[in-house]
Amino acid sequence: MPDTHLDLLKSIALEDARAVLALGSRVSLPSGTVLFELGAPADHLYVIDRGRVNLTLPMQVFGHEEDILVEERLPGQTLGWSALIPPHRFTLKATAQIDTELLVFRRAALLDHFAAHPAVGYAIVGNVAATVGQRLQVFQAMWLREMKRVLELSRGTREEK
Amino acid sequence: MIMFLMGLALAMFGLAVTAAAFGAATQTEPKPETAIQPHLELAPERFFADSHRSFHRQPNVPLEVLLLQIEQHVRLEQAAAESFISLPSPEVLNCRTESPLVH
Repeated sequence: MPDTHLDLLKSIALEDARAVLALGSRVSLPSGTVLFELGAPADHLYVIDRGRVNLTLPMQVFGHEEDILVEERLPGQTLGWSALIPPHRFTLKATAQIDTELLVFRRAALLDHFAAHPAVGYAIVGNVAATVGQRLQVFQAMWLREMKRVLELSRGTREEK
Repeated sequence: MIMFLMGLALAMFGLAVTAAAFGAATQTEPKPETAIQPHLELAPERFFADSHRSFHRQPNVPLEVLLLQIEQHVRLEQAAAESFISLPSPEVLNCRTESPLVH
């Protein structure tokens, strides 16, 4: 896996990146496997090496609870950042959409490494913050677009009356 | 005097007949109006109920199709949001997508 393709290891020297990668273990998920459930304790951070993971939230659709796609994570991307951010509970459900390979990092192992190598820890936490920030910005824009639609619908309903 | 009374009686009879005819005429006229009015009011309501919002028809859409539409909607909205983040402007933020849920 080329280190430069991993969101988690951006701006980290090759030697330092290799040391971080050595902390991880490789896991294969057959298609359809649930990696983690919404609300479960988040003790591991994941990086996708191969495959695709869908992040979903449950939604009531005509009386049925359905998993609705919120975000799709692809090779090189990080997921499970709740492992590094309190209260350490997953805020989405993650499911492998196709056969997927992941690098798995235990929170305790990462924090020990960061304590010993603060510069690496600083860079990695910055990369995780970028992932969190990206999601926040995307959802802000999506929320605003939906609000605009709600207002249009509301205005249309009032004009009808 | 008798002639006067006869004239008065005839006039009263004529007035009574006219009043009865008028009463009968005014009683029968509103009936067709009240029968027509509900049609005039209901017709536009049915029209708007059918045409206003597509999600009124959603219960007829199979769940699998609806879930695919939701997924497509999320992908398109996410792409639109990401475009806004890479090039923030009111036009990009408010651009329309081809999502089946908003058409």
